[in-house]
Amino acid sequence: MRGKVAVIGVGMIKFGELFEKSLENMIQEAYLNCLKSVDKGIHPKEIKAAWFGQWSGGFIGQGTQSGHSLTSMIGNLDIPCTRIENACATGSDTFRHACLGVASGVYDVVLALGAEKMRDKPSAESLGGAGGGGSAEIGIHPAWMIGQGGPAIQAMHATRQMYELGYSMEDFARVAVKNHHNGTFCPYAHYQFEITIERVLNSPVICWPLHLFDCCPQTDGAAAVIVCRADLAKKYTDRPVYVVGNNVGTDHIQFWDRNSFVEQRSTIRAARGAFEMAGIKPQDIDFAEVHDCFTNTELMNVEDLGFIRKGEAAKRLKDGEFDLHGWLPINPSGGLKAHGHPIAATGLGQIFEVFTQLREEAGKRQVKLKNGIGLQHNVGGPAFGVSVVNILSRSL
Amino acid sequence: MTQPAPASPLFWRFNPEVFRLIGIKCKDCGHISYPRTMICHECGSQNLKEYKLPKTGVIHTFCVNWAPPPTFEPPIMPVMVDLEGGGRYQGLMTEFGAPEDVKIGSKVEMVLRKLTTDRGLNIYGYKFRLVEE
Repeated sequence: MRGKVAVIGVGMIKFGELFEKSLENMIQEAYLNCLKSVDKGIHPKEIKAAWFGQWSGGFIGQGTQSGHSLTSMIGNLDIPCTRIENACATGSDTFRHACLGVASGVYDVVLALGAEKMRDKPSAESLGGAGGGGSAEIGIHPAWMIGQGGPAIQAMHATRQMYELGYSMEDFARVAVKNHHNGTFCPYAHYQFEITIERVLNSPVICWPLHLFDCCPQTDGAAAVIVCRADLAKKYTDRPVYVVGNNVGTDHIQFWDRNSFVEQRSTIRAARGAFEMAGIKPQDIDFAEVHDCFTNTELMNVEDLGFIRKGEAAKRLKDGEFDLHGWLPINPSGGLKAHGHPIAATGLGQIFEVFTQLREEAGKRQVKLKNGIGLQHNVGGPAFGVSVVNILSRSL
Repeated sequence: MTQPAPASPLFWRFNPEVFRLIGIKCKDCGHISYPRTMICHECGSQNLKEYKLPKTGVIHTFCVNWAPPPTFEPPIMPVMVDLEGGGRYQGLMTEFGAPEDVKIGSKVEMVLRKLTTDRGLNIYGYKFRLVEE
């Protein structure tokens, strides 16, 4: 990026089944937490533009949100605000747009905030909105009429991972075990309990070969990040974190156009561009928050992001390489598996974690830093054809 | 109660695309895309020829969906099929005994079945069933 960008504040709320909280309650709580997190303080009116991440509203019949949903709820109507929707990468793309707003030189200090009410609707309706074959898709293509939401798409990857790479259901379950463990150390996680391979494999089959505990929960949540011009960051904090690379990668929206079902080219493309922008290699990353909406997806991600070769993920996970104290901790926060997946809040929640880890404020889940560089990743949408990667660093 | 419609827009699109299975093959990169398109989804070329998808193939991948949307009776089995001679088609299995009978590499063929209803009108299309060997 030509203009250098720094993160100076992050805020989130505890993710979960928040029946007692409205979208507005969640937005305000995350926003106020974010303002409070700025070490040397910030006046709300110093924020000159905002981007609002929102996925579920229009999709699951809760009313379409727009930019003013955010500005009016935070009482800052003098700033421009645009609503961003980019599938499961909505949160991370909202962050990316905020960064580009600053990098362009137009704005000095901006806000990225994402909030999602997933639990006001029953899971079936909520998942139906996510491409489950509901009436929204009818008229696009007959193959959408086959009841295919996220679980089915990822299960079809998982079947192929088992066949082509020799992965097993135990290998998938091991991702849940690791991420649930990490999640017990994160006060914001929806799930905060340990799980065993046996419990995963004994949970109901959702989409064979994936069980209930291979899936992340449906969750409400909100998260916010304030970014500013890197040369202004020290006014707000002595320990800013810098954004050194980001990118969106895409792949086919039609599942059958895809060539391989053991990799996601959206992730491969997003990572390639982000690493190029940052001028670093995957091996320079200390830890990563990746999109574990399903356990098998995490195994695919660590390969697609370039950390290891295709087919190695299951063994390396088993050997503890991705544990909190492994050489490459994956999802130290507990990931989507423990936090749940309030779509637009998810990516910003991951940025929260990367920021917290890079400032060594993560307490019991703190990872060891070598280069002081962390990566955040989302992938999703129909056929998992949209991915976003953001790379953050302690130094420019 | 949903009002019946005088016609479904799907019928207009269904004839060439769904029933006759017409897609395209890219003369530049070889990618087969379905349904018909004016631009190759893989490389962006407009140098295309019509390609009729074959009705038989082998299962490339699948899953057994025990939690489908409310309009479906579980379990349903979406399959991704490598068609004989090239191209892919995704559909639901029909007339299978046990889910365990369906495997990667199983031979399947398309059969015309009811897929759904659109405002009171039945919508037909292809599903897959196992081919006896």
